[in-house]
Amino acid sequence: MNASIYKKPVAFAVAATVVVLAGTIATMAYPMLRPEMHERVAGMKPLSALALAGRDVYQREGCTTCHTQTVRPLRSEVLRYGGAKAQEKGAQYSIAAEFADDHPFLWGSKRTGPDLAFEGWLRPAAWHGPHLIDPQHVVPGSNMPRYAFLAGRPLDGFEIQAHMRALRKVGVPYPPDEIENAPRALQGKTELDGLVAYLASLGKAVDRGGAKVVVGAAPEQPNPMAGNAAAIGRGKALFAERCASCHGDDARGIEGAIPSLVDDVFLGVQGDLPDAAYFAIVKGGSDAKAALGRPGSPDGGMEAFAGQLPDDGIWSIVAWLRTQKQAK
Amino acid sequence: MIDYRYDHRTVQGFILSSIFWAVAGILLGLLISVQLWYPDANFAPYLTYGRLRTVHTNGLTFGLGVGAIFGLTYWIVMRLCKRPLLFPRLARVQLWLFNVGIAAAAVTLAMGYTQSLEYAELEWPLDLAIVVLWVMFAVNVFGTILKRREEQMYVSLWYVIATVVAVAVLYLVNNLAVPAGLWKSYHLFAGVNSANVQWWYGHNAVGFVFTTPILAMFYYFLPKSTGLPIYSHRLSIVAFWSLVFAYLWTGAHHLVYTPLPDWLQTLAIVFTLFLIAPSWGSVVNGYYTVGQDWSKMRSSYLTKFFVLGITFYGLQTVQGPTQALRVVSQLVHYTDWVPGHVHMGTMGWVALTVCASIYYVVPRIYGTEIYSERIANAHFWLVLVGQLLFSITMWITGIRQGWMWKAMDGDVLRHPNFVETLQGNYPFWILRTVAGVIFAAGMVLFAYNVLKTIQKGRALERAAAPAQPAPASAA
Repeated sequence: MNASIYKKPVAFAVAATVVVLAGTIATMAYPMLRPEMHERVAGMKPLSALALAGRDVYQREGCTTCHTQTVRPLRSEVLRYGGAKAQEKGAQYSIAAEFADDHPFLWGSKRTGPDLAFEGWLRPAAWHGPHLIDPQHVVPGSNMPRYAFLAGRPLDGFEIQAHMRALRKVGVPYPPDEIENAPRALQGKTELDGLVAYLASLGKAVDRGGAKVVVGAAPEQPNPMAGNAAAIGRGKALFAERCASCHGDDARGIEGAIPSLVDDVFLGVQGDLPDAAYFAIVKGGSDAKAALGRPGSPDGGMEAFAGQLPDDGIWSIVAWLRTQKQAK
Repeated sequence: MIDYRYDHRTVQGFILSSIFWAVAGILLGLLISVQLWYPDANFAPYLTYGRLRTVHTNGLTFGLGVGAIFGLTYWIVMRLCKRPLLFPRLARVQLWLFNVGIAAAAVTLAMGYTQSLEYAELEWPLDLAIVVLWVMFAVNVFGTILKRREEQMYVSLWYVIATVVAVAVLYLVNNLAVPAGLWKSYHLFAGVNSANVQWWYGHNAVGFVFTTPILAMFYYFLPKSTGLPIYSHRLSIVAFWSLVFAYLWTGAHHLVYTPLPDWLQTLAIVFTLFLIAPSWGSVVNGYYTVGQDWSKMRSSYLTKFFVLGITFYGLQTVQGPTQALRVVSQLVHYTDWVPGHVHMGTMGWVALTVCASIYYVVPRIYGTEIYSERIANAHFWLVLVGQLLFSITMWITGIRQGWMWKAMDGDVLRHPNFVETLQGNYPFWILRTVAGVIFAAGMVLFAYNVLKTIQKGRALERAAAPAQPAPASAA
């Protein structure tokens, strides 16, 4: 090193700039030229006007300070966030191509709450409204702030239209007629509607719904676990693990959003179902529900647990639910 | 006789501003720390954790950090160039614009105007104001250096120049966005590319706000306050160039296991490991400098601030590379370990070094001594205990929760319910609030001590020149 550089500020500043630019070019500028930084899921559509409005709210409220949006390729993480159901193994965790329209990325850096990358698959849209309004009521022990005020704020369709135009400038492929129609599409919608729509859209660019298994009702089959105390205990534990995040610890659901499983009115119809029908609904999800003629909430939010829970586990859950219904 | 009085008032203005934003930012930190374990302390829409955490980080990074950097850098530049600032009025305008900018930043962030890019949250109108501020700073720094009266540029000036150049490049690129309204814009970059640009910026914001300008202070004020020369000039040279070279390659270690291409992650991890060497170059230089006479730890009250400061810098720069390793990252990333890590750097290294530098400068503006060494010592112990308690509780709960997320029994998760893993944080988070209160108490003592020193200095000035009207105060 020529010692005189420490006497020549201009030369020194130029040298410092060159040194700083080396890593800048290698790790920031050069990667931009590579196609792997610009992948896009084939056929992926940009967010709807309503979901985009929700994304703006998500940014404004700083949801990224507590929620990440990247499921890492770790076994425990793929299981926790439901990636294991993805049809393609490579989509069990977050992939670059599904973030092609994210200006900016919203991956966050801290999980004070759970990751939301696959939220659109994990919970029905109907769950989110009541949860955003009063998180502690839906998830006891949660530390999330209440966002009830969003329900009282109407969306400004022309503002969102301007946002869509700006996004089109940076490369998000919004069709002109969709931009044109935005104010109409947002009429009467609130910020809460927008945020729920955004959360329901997360992870949906890729199929992570799992194999479709419609379990036909076999109403005659008795519950092999009925009255089995050990199985009922196991059913209770499994329910707490897998079902309580939506239906609540006591299986009472959320009024108007998530069905209670211990009420006399179940899925809009007065009267009980045989254990085998419950079994079918848990195993086959919304499709099994519809096959039974009980569609329930319009977005058909019930997850299919086929392949996630063994049959005897599902029977055990039903056996436990039966004890809860009787207790009531 | 050169008159520095006007420039010194500008420096003092930056110092007082940074102390004001420090106290405000720390009190806000206490509130958000409570919000984490007591959600009823959120007051929507303006005072929720989601919005206020950003006000906290920006208030302290830019209000305390950059405010102190502006003021103390000007002090260092004037001393090392043996002349007043080339554009004294410009620096004064910069001081006012800086405070207006930070106030506007706090208000707009609380209103939810954010780009959602960490440490680059401010929306485009404020970004433009920051560019103007930085240009003002650069013009004065470079102008004064070019017109200096000392041929050789000392180490601190190298770090100052690198800071000015690097921050300009980083800030301009990462804030490229298309406006969609007065307070709304969208990042020019998308998805993985957006993430890569942001963390190239984000990590180097740490590098060129919380490292290089603080090292400039360390290399200047440590020898000044101890009377001991820097141990090795050659080591300073090697450490400087390798640090500013390697830092820029490491941003992607924030994106380990994300969809960012693996080669970028690996490259960043490798350079992050390398970064231990230049970081420890300065640590070793600092230790050997004080090692020439360890009795300074007792006889000169500022020495312990600098020694503990560089110690936490050393720990920080080993912990950082450790958590960049994939095997460690998968356990602690996204947990409270990371805020624990950040706060060792900010509450340990940055705050100790900046406070000591301010303690050195303020009495010298008036040619007097610090108001109370006893209060300064109490300040030292409070912030030391507060910071250690803060960081250590966060590391423990980070590992604890990370472990719960990963724990499997055969093929099933042991803790599938997220809330179960969250609830274990609450006792640690309460302890963290206690740690924050201890730290805040120390910083309040610091503010009091500085204000009392200024009061004492002003009284001396009035006594020395009773006929002259006192110049208007800057803050």
